[in-house]
Amino acid sequence: MSKTSLERGLNILREQIDSPTAAFFSSCVHCGLCAQACLFYTETCNPAYIPIRKLEPMRRLWEQEYTLTGKLKKLLGLSRPITHEELEQWQELVYNSCSLCGRCSLVCPAGLDLTYMIRKFREGMAASGHAPEGLIGATTRAVELGSPMGVTLKALEAQAKHVKADSGLDIPFDVEGAEYLVLLSSMEIINYPEYLQAVARIFHQAKKTWTISSEAFEATNSGIQIGVSDIAAELVQRVVDAAEKLRVKTVISPECGHAYTAIRWEGPNLIGRPFGFRVRHILEVLDELREQGLLQVEGVEDARMTFHDPCQLVRRGGVIEAPRNLIRMVARNFVEMKDHGKMNWCCGAGGGVSANEDAAEIRLKAFKRKKKQLERLQVDGLVTACANCRIQIEEGLEENDMDMPVIGLTEMLASHLKDEEAREGGAT
Amino acid sequence: MTDAQNNTDFRKSLDRLECPQQRQLAARFVESVLHLGRDERIKKVVDMVHKGDPDPEELEAARKMIKAAIVDSHCRCGSECDWKEQATYFVARAAAAAVAPENKCITRNAAWEAAVNARMACTCAAMEDEDISAEECAKQAQIARDFLNTLPAGSETA
Repeated sequence: MSKTSLERGLNILREQIDSPTAAFFSSCVHCGLCAQACLFYTETCNPAYIPIRKLEPMRRLWEQEYTLTGKLKKLLGLSRPITHEELEQWQELVYNSCSLCGRCSLVCPAGLDLTYMIRKFREGMAASGHAPEGLIGATTRAVELGSPMGVTLKALEAQAKHVKADSGLDIPFDVEGAEYLVLLSSMEIINYPEYLQAVARIFHQAKKTWTISSEAFEATNSGIQIGVSDIAAELVQRVVDAAEKLRVKTVISPECGHAYTAIRWEGPNLIGRPFGFRVRHILEVLDELREQGLLQVEGVEDARMTFHDPCQLVRRGGVIEAPRNLIRMVARNFVEMKDHGKMNWCCGAGGGVSANEDAAEIRLKAFKRKKKQLERLQVDGLVTACANCRIQIEEGLEENDMDMPVIGLTEMLASHLKDEEAREGGAT
Repeated sequence: MTDAQNNTDFRKSLDRLECPQQRQLAARFVESVLHLGRDERIKKVVDMVHKGDPDPEELEAARKMIKAAIVDSHCRCGSECDWKEQATYFVARAAAAAVAPENKCITRNAAWEAAVNARMACTCAAMEDEDISAEECAKQAQIARDFLNTLPAGSETA
């Protein structure tokens, strides 16, 4: 690591220290509530994982450069400069043991948005060369191939062909004037092909027009996770260009937590202008269809089921009631976890944590919180709405020898659709 | 009946099978793509189903084993997809259909589920080359035909 890269990182970090960040640092009352809200801390009791502590190098920079006492201390040689070695040490704290879940921000009595600050700290970390290899690889692939996992259009088209064979339904590509532009996460294309088929069947029943853009089908945004706003903006711009080219009314973010945050809440700020279309999560759209009587289902699940709230969708995104309205359509014995909705606990893998191979141990430790929630509830099955949460939960259940089906909500609804005509006519 | 002209007919012909038959046929579909799966647990599950008439404990153990194989072979979020490894994931999912609990075996048409996942495995394995899933479809139709012809008349109820 060179001195230049450290300077570059510190310059970026200085730029990130805006007035809210400065106000947050000066408002911290050291109460420790953020610690109790963070599953990386509660499941390890390691003080290094206290959320505000994860920001310590950034706090020192703020103090040294933007406060009178800090400036004086620096002048007198009483403050410790930030070094590559320190940032290297902090990489694990900023990327592997923070899922940007936002629970710490929610409980802070002084109103510190710690997630906002970690997100900013990552900008400095990435610029100084301290982003983890896993996220660097994902981001590079996202820029070069359009997908953090290397999914190409060919792979998506192959999946569309299987949907056609299985359901008889065509997956529409590049249809101008369609009502909805459907985005997908690579995880759904690779691991959960049932999602695309579920969407196709639901829109077929609701008689809605929709399309996928062959130029921008990926919803995830590694730029947000690694902390490089320029890249995040470029990835958002690709979707905006596709939506405007196809003149769609609504862009649908898939069952992926951070993709929703990226396109809906950070998107317009990243590209510096409002969108000319709506952005909705798939569950919001499905709930709209439910309200309009366009989601016709039959049969109910008798099994005792619960819902895992994806943090970015529920706590950070505000989509709290839609999943519950939808689950109640098809599940008789739906029960809530003790902490649910905006207070739910993260699965432990969000915010780019899952992309880092060396985070495997800590994310499975963090999963213990979800394990306790599920043990207390004694449910037969779990529903969620984020492919990354889903795979982390499946892995966590397996690790802890717990046997429970985990299903995506869109998929569950599709399995209860009344209209089965779609299944007719699939050609070999 | 066995001469499935398209996927709908093919699927319908499988719909008529009882659970043990669904499992047997699902296992044959898996066997056809077993070479694409890199996990030894998949073969163990297929062998167990082929052995015939597995008891509930055996089925439960097989379900756990194959679930572990699925979790182990999935592509981690944000990592670069290894399509060959991903083929293993879909072969394992196909094998899971072969040992699905009885209610799911019937309602979700285990044999069809295995067929679809086996095709996905073919697509993954050949992602960099020409797609071979169409060949697998034809192969599956033949496997189903052979299987259904071995059944005594009237034994496929629905």
